[in-house]
Amino acid sequence: MATGADRAVGLGLVGFSLLLFTYYTIWVVILPFVENDHVVHQYFLPREYSVILPGIAALILLLCVGTFIGVVMWKSRKPKKVD
Amino acid sequence: MLSSSRRIVLALEEGYLSSGLLALKISAVLPAMTKLLEWVFGVLVVGAAWALVTFDLLDLRLPEAFRQVAWPMPVYLLVVFGCYSLATVGYRVATFNDCEEASKELQAQIQEAKEDLRRKGLKL
Repeated sequence: MATGADRAVGLGLVGFSLLLFTYYTIWVVILPFVENDHVVHQYFLPREYSVILPGIAALILLLCVGTFIGVVMWKSRKPKKVD
Repeated sequence: MLSSSRRIVLALEEGYLSSGLLALKISAVLPAMTKLLEWVFGVLVVGAAWALVTFDLLDLRLPEAFRQVAWPMPVYLLVVFGCYSLATVGYRVATFNDCEEASKELQAQIQEAKEDLRRKGLKL
């Protein structure tokens, strides 16, 4: 079996993705079929945010990837040879 | 040039299109049914169905609940795919086995190689 930290990180990722999947599925698929005055609606934002928030998350991800690539390329630049 | 029956078997086996009939119709029109074309066609069909429900193009007047489920569907499918990817990576990180024997063998081989090179004059 994989050692301590690896297992913790791996199982953490699995748990986090399960939570995210459950919350998002209830929000998008289940809530429209629940009456508008049920108490569960107060735990969820209005529906527009179910598209806006993943959009913002995707933009932040792109930003992080771009920054990482930029940093790596900056660090690996070689000074030009002087003849 | 594949026979049309072979094309149907391929499409059904791989399950890319919702019905083998659709594949037969396309292969009757185009000479080469590539994988890309299959995917593009599948995406177009699904996209058309989604647009039909979201923008009410045929005036079907579906119940409000169905329309509310349908319009975030593309983003929802992306999020579900992301969650599945994350869960798969996490699970495989958690269950990746350490190979003690292979590790020891590799260390021994590295030592052996270093000694050999030192004897032959390479400074390490």
